[in-house]
Amino acid sequence: MSNLESFLDYQAARRLSTGAYTRLWQRSLPYLLVLPTFAFVFLFTLLPTANALIQSLYQPGNARIPTRYVGLQNYLDLFNPNTLIGADFARIAGNTLIYIFTTVPISMAIGFGLALLLNRKMRALGLFRFAFFYPVLIPMIGAGSIFAFLFADQIGLLNTILRSFGLPGIKWIGDPNWALIAIIMVSIWKQTGFCMIMYLAGLQGLSNDVYEAADLDGATTWQKTRYITLPLLQGTTLFILTTSIAASFQLVDHLFALGEGQPNERSNLLLYFIFQKYNEPRNLGYVSAITVIILAALLIFTVLNFWLWERQTYYEN
Amino acid sequence: MRIRAIKRLRSALGTLLLIGMAIFWLIPLIWSVLIALRPENEPIVTGNIFFGSRLTLENFQNVARVTNWGEHFYATLRFVFGVLVVQIVTITLAAYAFARMRFFGKQLLFGAILIQLMIPAAVLIVPNFATIRTLGLYDTIWALMLPYMGSAFGTFLMRQAFKQVPLELEDAARIDGCGWFGVLWHVYLPPSIPSLVAFGLVSVTTRWNEFLWPMIVTQSSENRPLTVGLSRVLRTSEVGALYGQITAGVLVVIFPLMLLFLFFQRQFINSFVRSGLK
Repeated sequence: MSNLESFLDYQAARRLSTGAYTRLWQRSLPYLLVLPTFAFVFLFTLLPTANALIQSLYQPGNARIPTRYVGLQNYLDLFNPNTLIGADFARIAGNTLIYIFTTVPISMAIGFGLALLLNRKMRALGLFRFAFFYPVLIPMIGAGSIFAFLFADQIGLLNTILRSFGLPGIKWIGDPNWALIAIIMVSIWKQTGFCMIMYLAGLQGLSNDVYEAADLDGATTWQKTRYITLPLLQGTTLFILTTSIAASFQLVDHLFALGEGQPNERSNLLLYFIFQKYNEPRNLGYVSAITVIILAALLIFTVLNFWLWERQTYYEN
Repeated sequence: MRIRAIKRLRSALGTLLLIGMAIFWLIPLIWSVLIALRPENEPIVTGNIFFGSRLTLENFQNVARVTNWGEHFYATLRFVFGVLVVQIVTITLAAYAFARMRFFGKQLLFGAILIQLMIPAAVLIVPNFATIRTLGLYDTIWALMLPYMGSAFGTFLMRQAFKQVPLELEDAARIDGCGWFGVLWHVYLPPSIPSLVAFGLVSVTTRWNEFLWPMIVTQSSENRPLTVGLSRVLRTSEVGALYGQITAGVLVVIFPLMLLFLFFQRQFINSFVRSGLK
């Protein structure tokens, strides 16, 4: 009896211990699975964000002056056009806004038009898709290098064409009035293919019924595009808009081949400016503040995106 | 009759416009090929406007001397596929936990990881550079790879794929004695391969084209990828602006991806679309 009891006790204890062990394992398993991803995101996204925020509140020291806390002074300097850095910042931030709000809508409009033209029964579809999509796959520094030649003053293709029409050549990269436009042209060339394939996917998801009904009512192609296609693709448009805006902040590598923001910062962009100054300890405070400003802008666009998205789904229901 | 004629005319005009635009978009590529194959010291105005006096590979031979392309190519391969392999492991594990497990703090952890969607690594080059310096990893292949090893986008994409798998399949596998890894391997992964391929193609393309970060954290040519090698061509030839060499360099850098794209066009495009449509 007592033998049996102790045996049962032993079994129960054993079951309990394996149970406890299994439970512990099962409880910690999800955390273990998430840990690698979380660790990398923490180390290279969350921590550096906090780091930039903190650094942006300090003025870096040197051999004689220690680093000191200056509150929002770095930001105030950036937004004060009378300081040396403020003058640059005003121009470069302005350039960045112009850059984003020309590149994005223009490449979206062209991409939408191309998608409409391609969304028919046609031959050589693959060739057309290649023609418009290959720029998406090549590095921005490569795109910049190619365009450096197209924009070249004496022998560039663009000026050769201009001159053949009897027009004066443009210095493009060297000309303060044209440098930013040249930079924008490269980005449009690069981005349009992405907008096109996204719109094409959207178009292929639309059902034919609405169009047949519209045909019966005698709607013109323009009316169908304006009153059926565009509203139905609102979600696609919103998605492309927000991803393209976020992407444009990063799309600066071509500046390395196209004048590096010169002449006189007329074609410089915020992220490239950071890249130029990353190794200047005395500018660490300013560079961190600019990083924070870009992050804030990205945050605003994301929140705006969510808000628009909510509103749109609200109306759809 | 008339309406049909108008429709035809309009369709033809559309095609014509499309052809015009396609040529416009292809010019940079075609022109690079032509300039790269043109004799180096022949201005564009001499000889045949397209081919110059003859076709030659001397630009490629010259650009090969500017920097060690073999090392750059090897660095790019290690960078691109090193990141990809680690990413596949990390996103699969995390996505499984987020898709099918219940645990305390799940929403919070998922939210924290998704912040990465909003904050691209490119913007954080300065603080990340400081981290790499602190870790003593400057000018190593690890410095290149570390910031990209955890991917919110990949985790999100795989989580969506795993959620499509019916729960009954997991239950059946459990009854047959599968542990969590068996379930993941036999039940969840096979139907999610298309998502993994889509993620892989986008990841490979983006890493292949990375420039600012490799430029900042590497110094020796054995750790510098092709894009940084190309920047060397740009700088060394600046004096005479040897465009033949520059375009030859560009073609070397983009050739592998272009070749892949030619053969797997549909997969590439689908991947980019899939990565966009959530």
